[in-house]
Amino acid sequence: MKTFAKIAWRNITRNKSRSLITISAIAIGLGALIFVRAFVDGADIQMIQNYTDLISGQLQIHADGFQKKMGLERNIPDPAKIASELSATPGIIASSKKIKNYVLVSSTEQSSGVLLIGIDPQKERAVTTLHKHIRKGEFLSEGKDDQIILGKDLLEILNVGIGDKVVIMAQGADGSLASGAYRVCGALDTGAEEIDKGMAIITLAAAGKLFVLEDRVSEFTIRAGDVYKLDDISRRLKDKFNGRNFEILTWKDISPILAQTIEFDKVFFDLLLAIFVLVVSIGILNTILMSVLERTREFGIMLALGTKGKQIVLMVALESIFLGFIGTVFGLILGIISALYLGWHGIDLSIFGKVFEGWYIGSIVYPRLFFRNMLLSSSIVLIISTIAALYPAWKAASLKPVDAIRHFN
Amino acid sequence: MAFIEIKNVFKTYAEIAGISTLALNGVTLNIEKGDFAAIAGPSGSGKTTLLNIIGALDKPTTGQIYYEGADITNISINRLADFRLHQIGFVFQAYNLINVLTALENVEYIMLLQNRPCEERTRRATELLARVGLADFMHRRPSQMSGGQQQRVAVARAIAARPKVVLADEPTANLDSKTAGELLDLMKELNKEKGVTFLFSTHDKMVMDKADKIFHVKDGSIIN
Repeated sequence: MKTFAKIAWRNITRNKSRSLITISAIAIGLGALIFVRAFVDGADIQMIQNYTDLISGQLQIHADGFQKKMGLERNIPDPAKIASELSATPGIIASSKKIKNYVLVSSTEQSSGVLLIGIDPQKERAVTTLHKHIRKGEFLSEGKDDQIILGKDLLEILNVGIGDKVVIMAQGADGSLASGAYRVCGALDTGAEEIDKGMAIITLAAAGKLFVLEDRVSEFTIRAGDVYKLDDISRRLKDKFNGRNFEILTWKDISPILAQTIEFDKVFFDLLLAIFVLVVSIGILNTILMSVLERTREFGIMLALGTKGKQIVLMVALESIFLGFIGTVFGLILGIISALYLGWHGIDLSIFGKVFEGWYIGSIVYPRLFFRNMLLSSSIVLIISTIAALYPAWKAASLKPVDAIRHFN
Repeated sequence: MAFIEIKNVFKTYAEIAGISTLALNGVTLNIEKGDFAAIAGPSGSGKTTLLNIIGALDKPTTGQIYYEGADITNISINRLADFRLHQIGFVFQAYNLINVLTALENVEYIMLLQNRPCEERTRRATELLARVGLADFMHRRPSQMSGGQQQRVAVARAIAARPKVVLADEPTANLDSKTAGELLDLMKELNKEKGVTFLFSTHDKMVMDKADKIFHVKDGSIIN
């Protein structure tokens, strides 16, 4: 084995430039693959983080069926008890209560159907970043139940400004006609059209009063930190609230489109990986095949002396594995350094305008490296460098010594 | 019973256009233990084909090859590789060696294939290289040695395996006459010293002069 490994290794150094080109191709390919994966993962995480930070939270609790059909009749009674249960659940950083319903908002000139959300201004700050997206005016404050925040596009539709009055009309939980007048205190600018055009926010107390919900709420919005641990926490909550007719949703249930986008990113990456595998396989196959063909006579002599076919296969396979291994090491270094460096400094995508902001990614992407992805890509390179060697190895091993020793290059 | 017995061997090569070429036409010959023999003949006479068949590198179309009475004609390719490894030493015309190994490693290689212990391999390879006059060249690679030196390494390697016979296919063809003479003298000495049987294929008069026994081949048949 040692001698065959020695022969394989020396054969790599025999044609240095060819080996270097192959190793560079593997290294650059793998490095780029690791970097692209880190970039996509970073963008995905930012997308999830920004989306959930903005308004939805990472987890939501509703009465059963609320997600499918929003309505005041699907509400959570005794929210104080739930809040204390949530704060005692490990992994949960903060939670806030919300009341949600569709209403008609009217100015003196225009009306528009919007989603009205009642929030606890203080607690909401710990769960979402709504308060950071006020472009004009100010965020809601505790006790100011006559104030309303409207999306910036909605302000334009209604042709109102800060300080103007709008009227909300809806049906209360008891079936009565609910209506109330509010003064615009702030304009919400999130960059997401459906929010900026179709959302109004008042205090939780004001919403409770408007909809005659008394103490009940529509939703608990939860912040839990690491997006990759949400499934665990969601399972824990499902166990805890088992039998109490609640639905517990993660961001994937809340925004199936976002979940699909991220799924698409993964498929896209798998496609890149497949192309890379193909290119690297052809590269290695070409190098090893060339190297085998120009050593036909040498293999002939080895076989004539009594070297077994499987020993020739081992020798050729080791040559390819060495190339793959060295390429992998350099590829890992390249990928890790570039991903870590740009993960620290960020990649400024603002030259592409607001495209990425609309997708909740933000204008600066911070690539994120995951060990399992590096392991997967590197293992694939090592596996294909073995597989790519099989054909040339078989070709070398099945040479007829009597013909091969007469071969001159 | 002869040491190596070739009995009525025919070899036909099938050509693409359906025309076949008869390379050996009923060859029968005996080689005795300790022979220093040559198969001589012009190019295309069939001497290399005959040497390949004796060396178990090729199979006859019909006929039998016996080594010490055992028929090796019909054994499998894998067992033939084993047979060559333990029974036959080879010296080819040129470019005999594994290029990426040093002289010492080339000689050790054959013993490695035979699963000989590491110390024995190194000791024997060192002794044999010293014996063929290459004590100072042991750590050189083939590209750093002359043609004559490379052939000496090939001879050392052939003997290292302790074969029954060393087959040499025109070993002097690529050497100048002085170097060729020295190589032949070396092989003759080893033949006497160690009792190794040598069989050459050649059309070199110098080789024929040194041989104890000559089989002249013409058009695939032995003519003497």
